[in-house]
Amino acid sequence: MARISFQEELDELELELRTEGELVLRSLRGAVEAVCSQDLELADEVIAFDDDVDAQYFEVEQGVELLLARQTPVASDLRLVLALLKDNLHLERMGDLCVTIAKLTKLTKGLPPDEVLLEGFKEMGERAEQMIRVALRSLQERDRVAAESLLELDELIDRANRRVVNRLLEIGHDLERREWGLRMILVSRCLERIGDHAVDVGEQTAYLVTGEFREFTDASR
Amino acid sequence: MSASLKGGLFRLALLFSLGVGFLILGTLLVDVFKDGLPYLDRTLLTNPPSVDPKIAGARPAIIATLYIGGLLLLFTVPIGVFTAIYLEEYADKTRWYNRLLEINIQNLAAVPSIVYGILGLAFLVRGIGLGRVLLAGAMILTLLVLPTVIIASREALRAVPDSIRQGAYALGATQWQVVSRQVLPAAIPGIATGSILALSRAIGETAPLIMIGAVTYVAFDPTILGPFTALPIQIYQFVRLPQDEFKLLAAASIIVLLGILLTLNAFAIWIRNRYRRSW
Amino acid sequence: MADEQLTTIEPMSLADIAQEQSDKSFTNREAVFEVKDLAVDYSGAIAIREVSLDVYKNSVTAFIGPSGCGKSTFIRCFNRMNDLVPGAHIHGDVLYHGKDLYAADVDPVEVRRRIGMVFQKPNPFPKSIYDNVAFGPRVLRLRGSLDERVEKGLRQAALWDEVKNRLKESALGLSGGQQQRLCIARCLAVEPDVILMDEPASALDPISTTRIEDLMHDLKREYTIVIVTHNMQQAARVADMTAFFSVDVAPDGNKRTGILVEYDRTSKIFTTPADKRTEDYVTGRFG
Repeated sequence: MARISFQEELDELELELRTEGELVLRSLRGAVEAVCSQDLELADEVIAFDDDVDAQYFEVEQGVELLLARQTPVASDLRLVLALLKDNLHLERMGDLCVTIAKLTKLTKGLPPDEVLLEGFKEMGERAEQMIRVALRSLQERDRVAAESLLELDELIDRANRRVVNRLLEIGHDLERREWGLRMILVSRCLERIGDHAVDVGEQTAYLVTGEFREFTDASR
Repeated sequence: MSASLKGGLFRLALLFSLGVGFLILGTLLVDVFKDGLPYLDRTLLTNPPSVDPKIAGARPAIIATLYIGGLLLLFTVPIGVFTAIYLEEYADKTRWYNRLLEINIQNLAAVPSIVYGILGLAFLVRGIGLGRVLLAGAMILTLLVLPTVIIASREALRAVPDSIRQGAYALGATQWQVVSRQVLPAAIPGIATGSILALSRAIGETAPLIMIGAVTYVAFDPTILGPFTALPIQIYQFVRLPQDEFKLLAAASIIVLLGILLTLNAFAIWIRNRYRRSW
Repeated sequence: MADEQLTTIEPMSLADIAQEQSDKSFTNREAVFEVKDLAVDYSGAIAIREVSLDVYKNSVTAFIGPSGCGKSTFIRCFNRMNDLVPGAHIHGDVLYHGKDLYAADVDPVEVRRRIGMVFQKPNPFPKSIYDNVAFGPRVLRLRGSLDERVEKGLRQAALWDEVKNRLKESALGLSGGQQQRLCIARCLAVEPDVILMDEPASALDPISTTRIEDLMHDLKREYTIVIVTHNMQQAARVADMTAFFSVDVAPDGNKRTGILVEYDRTSKIFTTPADKRTEDYVTGRFG
């Protein structure tokens, strides 16, 4: 096989992206745990930890730039590099969303929580985690079917999100819990957005495999 | 033995070979010039031969040699060049008869000149009844050097890179146009050099001319269709005469012959340099 | 490019945009060459077989592929240069504007006037620059001012400014890149319809290569260009359509013949090639 160093560079870049994925998962677990346990120290850790995610993001971005400049990839190599570039962005955004969750947790210090909602977040967090894992695995294995399955998983998060909103409407009349509730809508939104980014990563995988870019879902729905 | 020692010995051997060649040539030339230079005068050039060495000259021989040279050029160059063009540019080299032709030309170049003499005697002098005339001599010498001219012309044509031909064809030139406008002009230096060298050789040939009946004593200016002699024969004749002075006259005639040959060779070099192109 | 003038840019109507898009697709352009089931053998040894494709007007079409895949043999079919190779036989059809190029009543000289060729190694004639460019018009006895033809050819080849004051000097004194442009000028002087280029820049330095590529871009407005190149990036840069050839090896490993693997828009070949062999070749994994 020719272009050995090129292939090695590509493989290494993918590995860096997966590493970034692991870092994001760590952020997510930390953020959800912080919300559910109202753990402010953990929240601070999550915020500080985002620096690692950003550093990794920068690594991958640089790697892509160098690869494009020096190796002029074409066809499937080009699609892979472009997919890595976009996935890099999605992962970094996911990391930022985890930081937002952590910051919201800090803002709601001292406010009384709602158990049902916290249960909901726990569930959404698990879903999101699962989605990130599926997205990363589908990329690694170039599995288009697995990538497309993310759509269904996203539907589950969306439903969970709707349940959270409904619950908040229920408790809305309770003035004490209202402030907490409003902040928590944003947390829910962040988790839902993380799910969307995972779907986008799946779309990139499908593009990589098929050569066609198709949005899995129409945003207007 | 070290590499540099070997190198040194090799150089020495080369210089030795060079030296031997030069030495022999030099000795001959010095000897000829020593004897002949005093006798190189107008008398030699303008007088016909005579039994009296004081007024003997080589004029008829010189004229005949010049005539032969001219006719040779006239005959060999067109025939030789066109044959070479046919063989190189037009002939299908895979055909058996063309390969046969090629082999035969190589062989003909090696045939001893006396054989051409016999050929000339049989076919030209007697066969078609031309007689023992200058024209017959020129024709025989033509046959003698033709193979050399053909071979030299072929080499010159081959030396023209094929990319030139391809480029010309690609522009829409016909085969004739490619040959006449690109290949031939580029091959002129090689062809000219080959032709003149062949000519030089022919001028020095004695045996065939004697075979077809060049006479040794000609006192009148020769004509193309008349009896003749040539400079090499004249030299031979001078040497055979008893008086010592004739030997010196022979030396002088040799100088004349050498002069003619050197002029021709210089001309060849001039043509080559003038038309030289670097690929 | 000092002669360019600024023109006001008018907004394009939707119809214009659609036209431009469809122009880019080429397939509804006129086909200058239609090749149907072409095969070439040299005294029985098949060099290339089963080739069918169309070459479109005012486009640059590139033939790429590993060495030995027959692309040079193929391009020489378009101007009947294979006629000059003893033992070469052409099977199948090459239609030029609908007419069979190899019909018995077709004159190869006329073919080569319309379909010119530039070779890999620049091959200027050992004559003056002027005589080089004038050679074609002279042998073809073209009417009109020879001086004008020479100047026009040299201008179109972007060489005029560099040589206009030394037209009588030997062409061999030019640099490699200039010599190649001279060969292009020589070709253009007979006003061909098509220009074939067999690896035109492979013997040149990068700057000369870029100039030749820019030239191709200009020339395709008036001519149809077909190039053979072993430099994939060059094909990616200059060609509108790209044909990928490969070598088909017989099971016993002995007979190697060239075949056409894929022919499509260059953009497609280099982003989503249909055939895996094409993919392997353009990504450099093989070949």
